[in-house]
Amino acid sequence: MLVSMNCVREDQPGEKWKSLFDRSWPFYKKWYAQEGLLSRPGYLTCYNQLKEHMPELLPVYEQLCSLAGGGDIASRYLSLYSPPPFMSGCTQLAWTKPPYGIIRNYDYDPRLFEGVMLKTNWLKHVMGVSDCNWGLLDGINEDGLAVSLTFGGRNVTGKGFGIPLVVRYALETCATVPEAQRLFLRVPVHMAYNITMVDTHGSFSTLFLSPDRRPLLSDSWVATNHQEVVEWMEYAALTGTLERKEFLEALLVLPHLDKEEVIRRFFNLPLYHNQAKQSFVTLYTAAYNVEERSTRILWPTKYISQSLHAFNEHREVVNLRKYQTKEFLK
Amino acid sequence: MTNNTRNIPTLKGISDIRRFFYTNEIPIYFISATNFNLLGADEWVKGFKFICYIECFDGKHPNVFSPKEELPHEEFQSIEDINNYLLEHKEVVDYIRKRGDKGKALFLMFNDHTEELAKSLGLEVAFPSAEMRTHMDNKVNTNRIAEKAGVPCVPNVLTKVDSYEHLGEVSKHLGTDLVIQTPFGDSGHTTFFISDEEEYNKYKDEIESESEVKVMKRISCFGSAIEACVTQHGTIVAPLMTELVGFKELTPYKGGWCGNEIFPQAFNETIRTKAREYTQLFGNQLRKEGYKGYFELDFLIEEGTDEIYLGELNPRVTGASSITNHAVFALADAPLFIFHLLEYMNQPYELDVDAINTRWFSDINIDSWGQLVIKHTEDTVEYVTQAPRSGIYRMDENGCIYFDRMDTHRRAVESEREAFFLRITRVGDYFYEGADIGILVMRGRLMTDDFQLRDRAQSWIHAIKSLYKSKIPGNDPYVQERVAEIGGFKMM
Repeated sequence: MLVSMNCVREDQPGEKWKSLFDRSWPFYKKWYAQEGLLSRPGYLTCYNQLKEHMPELLPVYEQLCSLAGGGDIASRYLSLYSPPPFMSGCTQLAWTKPPYGIIRNYDYDPRLFEGVMLKTNWLKHVMGVSDCNWGLLDGINEDGLAVSLTFGGRNVTGKGFGIPLVVRYALETCATVPEAQRLFLRVPVHMAYNITMVDTHGSFSTLFLSPDRRPLLSDSWVATNHQEVVEWMEYAALTGTLERKEFLEALLVLPHLDKEEVIRRFFNLPLYHNQAKQSFVTLYTAAYNVEERSTRILWPTKYISQSLHAFNEHREVVNLRKYQTKEFLK
Repeated sequence: MTNNTRNIPTLKGISDIRRFFYTNEIPIYFISATNFNLLGADEWVKGFKFICYIECFDGKHPNVFSPKEELPHEEFQSIEDINNYLLEHKEVVDYIRKRGDKGKALFLMFNDHTEELAKSLGLEVAFPSAEMRTHMDNKVNTNRIAEKAGVPCVPNVLTKVDSYEHLGEVSKHLGTDLVIQTPFGDSGHTTFFISDEEEYNKYKDEIESESEVKVMKRISCFGSAIEACVTQHGTIVAPLMTELVGFKELTPYKGGWCGNEIFPQAFNETIRTKAREYTQLFGNQLRKEGYKGYFELDFLIEEGTDEIYLGELNPRVTGASSITNHAVFALADAPLFIFHLLEYMNQPYELDVDAINTRWFSDINIDSWGQLVIKHTEDTVEYVTQAPRSGIYRMDENGCIYFDRMDTHRRAVESEREAFFLRITRVGDYFYEGADIGILVMRGRLMTDDFQLRDRAQSWIHAIKSLYKSKIPGNDPYVQERVAEIGGFKMM
């Protein structure tokens, strides 16, 4: 199984973004229309919601819509207001000893993985792993704020935004964890998600967001795929969310634990998901360093390093199957 | 323009008002299924645009905007649904934004959701609120306003009806020939004629499910329509029109509206005078209730007497507005909708309403026009492969018609040999029972003095229909779906 990560730098929305959009739009369009376009709000509603909740992003949004051809459906999709449901797996951890950072596994269906790492300077310098063309699964900005998301494991949907766009919004407009906390507390999300973030002061936070109840601030360093308690048993069992969280919490209390060791554990069970479950595979591991404004995107056999100061445009292709057949871990 | 009226010079009279609109800089939109109801308005008001779901002019109308991409949408149940669809559409949003803010929106129909959407687009709805309109549109409430205004209604009782026996008790004084109307509804659908228990049982469920209905004595009458506008200086009243009702050549609905005529000697002078007086009284009462702007009244004119009774209130522009707004009095002064708009422009003005009403009542200011609203009358579903375009048609000696020239409304129709056709059903649409095919507007009368359709009208209906070609499609579920989807259109 091939997973690729295409690292692209484009300061302001332009031809590169357009070409990435054009390539993925047929798939996203299918996804966006999966429940019928009638289930999605109209353009004016989407626009007004964006204007109300993320006004700073409007000029970028309008530029992107225009690059995407200016059509109604693409523009509704790009607003990410009440999109179809999406659920990822994921494990994430706030590393709160210097150098501060976030370590996370992104577990998802490889057929739906965009495979793009985007470095932009829309409202400020931001880089991260792209989702829904301008949202982010995880990322870091010039102020050294790093944010990452996991699915919150609750079977509820409501009116609100797809979380990748809210992550983008936080990184485009916030410098510190307290600022970002306030932002996540006010922007409505359409499903349950867990947000973990760290800044250069070493402040960290995990937030449990839901469309149907007030956000909860958790004091945990770790987020997997449940919130305070497990509410969706089948999903929890399928993804081993409790097991993963307990594993990491036990790991973190070990004395003299170093960051590299933790990163290595992310390639091991129970954190790492192999191909046994086709639609739920660890597609990459990311390790952010907020001091350096850098990240490594890692796979068991290779990694790439990127930073806001030195971002290299290239494409990395990884064969996860090959790694599996070598039984590297055993 | 600002809301600060101190710096705005007051408009004095008609010519100032006309100049005001010819130099208007505020974008004004009529948003609707088609632009039929306010045809020609763009020529009186600078910056006036139509935003339509159905493009009747194939892109040749200079001021009609219709989104190119058709988006999936819920089955339209009403014109409100169409308007809400249009307002959410990105092409419409982009179009309105590009033309600048602080615009005004006119609708044939709208609800509170339409109001929200318009507001979020920065548009001010130039009508009383949907809530007020709904309240007044309710036939039971209309009746109460009429009572307050001193406008006679057909002898009636407003009541809940539980059974046929109950009906007999509450309507003893009205006789046994009754008409029952439910609070809301449109022509031909919610009016029930009842003279015995068997007829009652046919509509039992509709009647008994209402908390209040209007039970009227049945009278033998002719329909008429009159349009007016409540302004700060009084109620302006346009001439009384005849109504074409239930002609089987035009509509499948018994009692359904299918056209109007305007001409100097409609009914007799006593009736015309009463209609004008009652409309003024009604308009003045509407103003007291907080309403301003355009409205239409249907009067029932009793056969053999000179009695006239209020039938119905439509608190809005209507399917007859196009007839009113192109008649010669409207061209000489200004069309009625101009006075409506003026009420929503925050513009101080002076106007001698009595003088206008006197002029508009005079024969010399009324020319003779008629419109035929043509629906598909058969119970068939047909796929349209050929359709005549909108514009002016001529009839030759053999009764055949041909397209003569493009125009956007009827004004340039020269003689009785010509007519303006507004096409609604296009190539690729379906005919189904009740589908609006199009509207024919012509000079001269369409009905005889005893309210029969004239041969000339029949020839034109036949001729325009013959320009359509259609085929019966197979038993295709898509067709059924498509027909259900567009079945909600009503022009009035």
